[in-house]
Parts: sequence; structure tokens; C-alpha cells
Amino acid sequence: MNLIDTNANLGPWPFAPVPDRTGTALAAHLAAAGIRRALVSHLGALFLPEPMPANRALFATVRRTPGLIPVPVINPALPNWREQLAECLAAGPIRAVKILPNYHRYRLNARHLDDFMAALAKAKLRLILNVRLEDDRHKYFALRIKGVPVPQLAQFLLRFRSHHVLLSGIYKTEVEKLAPDHENFSVEISLCEMTDTLEIMLKKFPARRFMLGTDTPVMATRAQAAKLTGALIPARTRELIGSGNARRFFRL
Amino acid sequence: MRIIDIHTHPVFCHRGKRPAELERVIAHGRRLGIVHMNVLGDVLVFGDTPNAKQLRFINDDSGRVARLYPDYFSAFIYLNPLLGERATMAEAERCAARPGFRGIKLEIANNAAHPCMRHVAKAAQAVNLPVLQHSWSTVNIGNRRHQSDPSDTARFARRFPAVTVIMAHLTGIGFRGVLEAKGLPNLYVDTSGGFPEEGLVEFAAEHLGADHVVYGSDLPIRENTVTIERIRSARLPAADRQLMLYGNAARLLRLQPS
Repeated sequence: MNLIDTNANLGPWPFAPVPDRTGTALAAHLAAAGIRRALVSHLGALFLPEPMPANRALFATVRRTPGLIPVPVINPALPNWREQLAECLAAGPIRAVKILPNYHRYRLNARHLDDFMAALAKAKLRLILNVRLEDDRHKYFALRIKGVPVPQLAQFLLRFRSHHVLLSGIYKTEVEKLAPDHENFSVEISLCEMTDTLEIMLKKFPARRFMLGTDTPVMATRAQAAKLTGALIPARTRELIGSGNARRFFRL
Repeated sequence: MRIIDIHTHPVFCHRGKRPAELERVIAHGRRLGIVHMNVLGDVLVFGDTPNAKQLRFINDDSGRVARLYPDYFSAFIYLNPLLGERATMAEAERCAARPGFRGIKLEIANNAAHPCMRHVAKAAQAVNLPVLQHSWSTVNIGNRRHQSDPSDTARFARRFPAVTVIMAHLTGIGFRGVLEAKGLPNLYVDTSGGFPEEGLVEFAAEHLGADHVVYGSDLPIRENTVTIERIRSARLPAADRQLMLYGNAARLLRLQPS
């Protein structure tokens, strides 16, 4: 298989005893699940007061590891977001940036997002909007961060209609709420799950808007990939979700 | 690798009862190597605290599934211990006298530490069947009147050491839940429910022993490909993974080797 993972991470995850892998180890781990390329962010960017130290660690790691494509995290709520973006572009090449509104404590209706989205368009960068990284019910007891609410996502998609966004860590039920009114988003499937997930979701949502995502290392990678590799769907659809859509969307 | 799924709900929200639907579930399972499924019932269809008539309706459905396809399905008797000793015993004995029932299922009628659980313990011993208790860490979800924290389920197992207890939902109970279950020889954990969070299967095997971890999916809420691969890809010896996927459930359900 030649899968592309649109949601993999380097760096430490402080809430569970999961591996903090080197770039080489992550690439080998993903390869064992049939994943040859992955869009990778650094988990340190969630927790640091400013994400650039984590982004710098990300760039340093992926430079030595073919197959890992850097997706730096930008915090547009900070006054220096333009500097963050400029440094990432200089360190690049990059295809996309990721935002984590709830970890970075801003709402998607914030005014500064106008300039931020315009800057992304100018730099021809895709946006990955992370809704959550784990089940809201299982968070560390002192971490009061929930997923980005659907009404906020809906407003954001409406406000930035000319941008096509990849929603990451979204639940199946949330996709079902957004899908009827919004065409400008795709979904990575790491946190969409029920029996026959894809077979059922594909009845209402086109294959060209799904991408494989594993949420590594928070989730077990091979188990997440099995949602796609074990699905009873046509080979062409599997190829689209497994790699084709990501190749097209991120111009890989 | 043969697999037994100890935690399934093929009949869910009144759907899935027709033979054609059940045959689809069987075909789905066989495609993935699942040689047997255990049916826990349409347990929330009448809300948190079903009455005696509603319990009979749910159990009759489960029993019918197990009777229609005895080589593939077994069933657990769904009980609401808040209905009292007489009702609990009567429903347990009514179902246990029928073919296909291999255990008792408890959902969210009450917390597992509630005194009424003595009725369940009495029934389980009378009909000689294990008890599977829905469990979830209540740290974030609250509602402890109805939800059983892993510490509550562990307390039930500790109170009644002669009763075999299965604490459901490994991801829901989490790392703390595994530690709550540790050291109780009559307590098992099933791997159903929740996303495949990294490291939990290995943690459970380390602290409980692979012989106390049982594969379950929570079909149709969860994806079997994901839940199975979570165990297959665990960093554990093959023999341990086989125990989790098949051997432990075969023993708990007293299934003949096929």
C-alpha cells in the first residue's frame, strides 16, 4: 500500500504513555501500517505559549526524514502570527498549516482570522483545522478543552467560502451536521467511527472529500488505517481516500 | 486468527432483527475472522431503567437471535436490579432456562456499587453465569447515579468474589480503570467502546494479564476492523493476542472449541 496519513504527529503526548518517536522511528512505524507519506505536526505546539519552538523541532526532524511532510502549527491569536507564518514559509517548503482553536483559546469568529486566511491564500497554503485530538470524554481530568463546536465550524466555513479546509479530528455526527450546507471542507477520518464507517458515510458524502488520518501517536496507527484498508469499498474509492485526495489537495 | 466478539448489539434501536439483517452481520463478522458474536441486547431502547416487561421484550429479542443462529450468536440476559430481588431472579431464571444465554448484562440502570447489586450477584450465582457491567470513567462524564466508574465495578467484583465480572469498555475506563481492576481474579476487562487509544491494550495486559482481557467491539457503534487491529497490532506476544481475541471469551462463554 502507498497510503498518505493527513494527521500524524511528532513530539510528546503528556496524557498517556505513548511513544515520542524520532522522525526515522515515526516513518518506520507508519510504514508498518502501509503509510509511505504523512503530514506531520509537532504536539509541543499545542502546549507552548508560542508554537515556533515546536515548529522548529518539526522542521529539523522532517528535513532528515523523507516521507514526512511538515505541517507547522500557527497560532493566529498571537500578535506575532505573521512572523510565525513567515518563518515557517522560509523553513519550508510547506503545503499547509494547522490551527488548533480550542487548545490556543480563540473562537473561529475572531476578527483577526480575516487577515490570517488572506495570508494563507496569498501563500497558496491549505488550512487544516483541528477540531480535537482525542475523545472529549477521556481527557486528562484537569484539561477542560472540548472540541470546536459545530456552529463555530459552520460560521467559519460560511465566512471563508472561497477556502476549502481539511477538518481534522471531527466526529461522524458533526460531519453529518455540516455536510448539507457546506461544500468547502474535506474530512480526515481518524475520529469518525461506527460499524462500516466509510460504507455508510460515503452514501451522503463524496469520496473526494475524505482523507486517511490516524491521529498518531494518540491513537493506534494500524488500527486506524484498518478503517480504510478493511472497508468494503471500490478500489478506486480506497485509493482516493488513502492517498489520491491528499495528493491533489496538498499538491504532493 | 479466530476471533470471538463478546460485546455486540446487532439489534440496536429496534433495527437489525430480521434474519436478512442478522445474516449480513454474520457475513460481516466472518469476513473479519469473527467466528462467534455475543449479543448484549438493545439495552437503551427503553431508556436507562427499563421495567420488567421491557426487559422481557429486549431479552426475547436477544434470545431469538441466539436461537436463530446458535452456531454464531450467544446472548446475555439484560437485567435491571433496581426492580428488586424477585424480578431480577425471575428474569434471570426465565432466560437461563432457554438455550443461547451465556451471561448477564448490566447497563446504566444503577451504579455498580449500589446495594441492589446483591440481587445480581445472587442471580449470577444461581444460574452460574458471568456478569458484564457497562463501565466508564465518570471523571468527565459524571452521572454516577447511573454510570459505573471502574472503581464501582471493581467494588462489585470485590464484594462478590464468587461472581465472574466483565468490566466493559477498556478505552472508557482508561489507564486508571485498568489499575482499579488489578488484582481481582474474578474481574475481566473487555476492549469494546471508544477510539483505539495507543498503549491501553498493552497496559491492560501488563497489569491484568493477557488472560483477563477480552476482545469486544460494541458493534454497531464501533468498527470491527479497527477494534480487531488494535489488538493484532499491540506490542504483545502472539499467544497473548490470541487469548484476548479468542481464548478468554471461549472460556467465559463456555463455547466448545470449533
